[in-house]
Amino acid sequence: MTALPQLLVSTVLLGGIYALIAVGLTLIFGIMRVVNFAHGEFLMLGMYLAFWSFTLWGLDPYFLLVVAVPLFFAIGLGIYALVMRGVIHASHNVQIFTTVGLSTALQNVALVFWTGDFRFVRPWESSIVVRILGAAFNLSQVIAFAVALLFTLALFAFMKWTHAGRVMRATAQDGEAATLMGIDTDRVYRLAFAMGIACVGVAGVLVSPLYSVYPTAGLQFVLLAYVVVVLGGLGDMVGALLGALIVAAVEVIGSYVFGSAWKEVIYFVLFIAVLVFRPAGLFGQRGAEALGA
Amino acid sequence: MRPHALALAIFGISALTPLVIRDGFFLDSLILILMWGAISGAWNVAGGYAGQASLGHSAFFGIGAYSAALMATRWNASPWLGMLVGAVVATGAGLIIGYLSNRLKGPYFALATIAFSQVLLIVASRWRGFTAGSEGVPVPFRPGFWTLGFASKVTWVYLVLCLALAVYLVQVYLERSRIGYRLAGVREDEDAAEALGIPSRRLKVMAVAASAALTSVCGALWAQYVGFVDPFYVFSVDLSIRFALNAIIGGIGTAMGPFVGSILITSLETFLRASFSDVRGGLIGIYLIIYGCLLIVVVRFIPQGLVGWFGQRFRAMGLYARA
Repeated sequence: MTALPQLLVSTVLLGGIYALIAVGLTLIFGIMRVVNFAHGEFLMLGMYLAFWSFTLWGLDPYFLLVVAVPLFFAIGLGIYALVMRGVIHASHNVQIFTTVGLSTALQNVALVFWTGDFRFVRPWESSIVVRILGAAFNLSQVIAFAVALLFTLALFAFMKWTHAGRVMRATAQDGEAATLMGIDTDRVYRLAFAMGIACVGVAGVLVSPLYSVYPTAGLQFVLLAYVVVVLGGLGDMVGALLGALIVAAVEVIGSYVFGSAWKEVIYFVLFIAVLVFRPAGLFGQRGAEALGA
Repeated sequence: MRPHALALAIFGISALTPLVIRDGFFLDSLILILMWGAISGAWNVAGGYAGQASLGHSAFFGIGAYSAALMATRWNASPWLGMLVGAVVATGAGLIIGYLSNRLKGPYFALATIAFSQVLLIVASRWRGFTAGSEGVPVPFRPGFWTLGFASKVTWVYLVLCLALAVYLVQVYLERSRIGYRLAGVREDEDAAEALGIPSRRLKVMAVAASAALTSVCGALWAQYVGFVDPFYVFSVDLSIRFALNAIIGGIGTAMGPFVGSILITSLETFLRASFSDVRGGLIGIYLIIYGCLLIVVVRFIPQGLVGWFGQRFRAMGLYARA
């Protein structure tokens, strides 16, 4: 049982990062009722932002957060105006393939401009070892977790206690009623999309020292994020947090028991099982998926 | 014959081309156009006619490709037999996926199918003892009809043309038959269809299974033509997107849509590959950027696709009874 603390802490650290990626996805789904299939590409852009700032100017990824938040927020606003606004009331197929098209385009913009090479960001934090409960981690992991947690909590607080947050939740509950109450739903959707993109962009910057950076780097994470979000119930933010911990636990324990090669199979099977038997998520109400479907 | 005018034109020109042109590069492009069109047509059976838009159809494509390749390399069996085995396995997988995901619509169905193709990708790339793992399987070239080894591209053109015609006819059947009308009813309003006594669940499962079987047959032929099966390619999400892309751009739920889409997309790809290959490898990605943007623009402004759009124009002009 000597491995137990290591597994436990790994789960929590990994879960925090997954949570930040998934919270953005679930925010966009919860409010706009659109599954953003291009979510992973914004994570990839965040990783490249960190990579280039680090290589060209020696900027530490964590200082970069000051730039990354407004930058990705602005990117989110731009993409909303250009692409998303027109399809928000369209059919599922139109919405799915709009974001799929966006994903293909962004991935290949990265491929054309920055080639398919695997790149690495190795700031000084990566070589510092931190001991938690006797288990060893590098400082980058710990910082990434702390910042991700901070952002996730800030988002929760925003949704719960600010006026804008209340307006967003109201729109999520009933868009028509919200319109009748004088809420400009277009602005709400725009804000939700931009905030979701900002979250995942920040997550990209945070994970850049931990994983290699390449044009399709977002795919693995976003598949994970779908698992997390579906486990927690699409659109449910607290559920996303719990889902992130579950997926992280499955990943950490799965690679410990079965070896890292097969851990993905475990969570994809879990994913399909949840989609089929409890599409509203583990904690959601039955039938809630009908809202999205 | 008017409704089939477009099909007659496209398939007719394809059939006549090898008589006139013997250029390998050109014939290769033609084969790929027909093959991608056929695969997208197979996707269209589930995605277009049954309204179950899958983003994991590469799973069935991969099943077909691996069945043909493994049957040939491991047991020295005919790829035709491998194709049959692949079709049976894919039908089984399609039935299971179709049945399990019956309750899932729109994005939920898409997510479930992506997950399914990813599971197969991991299994194929890690199960070294059986699938040769991530290195992939080279398909041996053994000349002859029974071993599906044709040195001549002309033979391939006619073989793939038969496949394309078969897929086209299945789609036409889905437009004209009782089953087709029922499927359309389920697609447009499932509750209303149920109320009229249409077994919507069974129909959707059947459509997904049929689509899976057709896709796997295409996969098996593709493996024989290309000669190599790479798990990261045949099970990729990109490939699934590509199947859908042709159908959507050409016209989702129309029999000729996937072929029209394939003509456009495949020629664009071939052209850009030929013009950029010597400059810089990465620039090939440009065609994928164009795909992505084209997809966004088409679903937004002409969601019925090119065939649907032109069909409406022609009908308005009174030229065609139906396009």
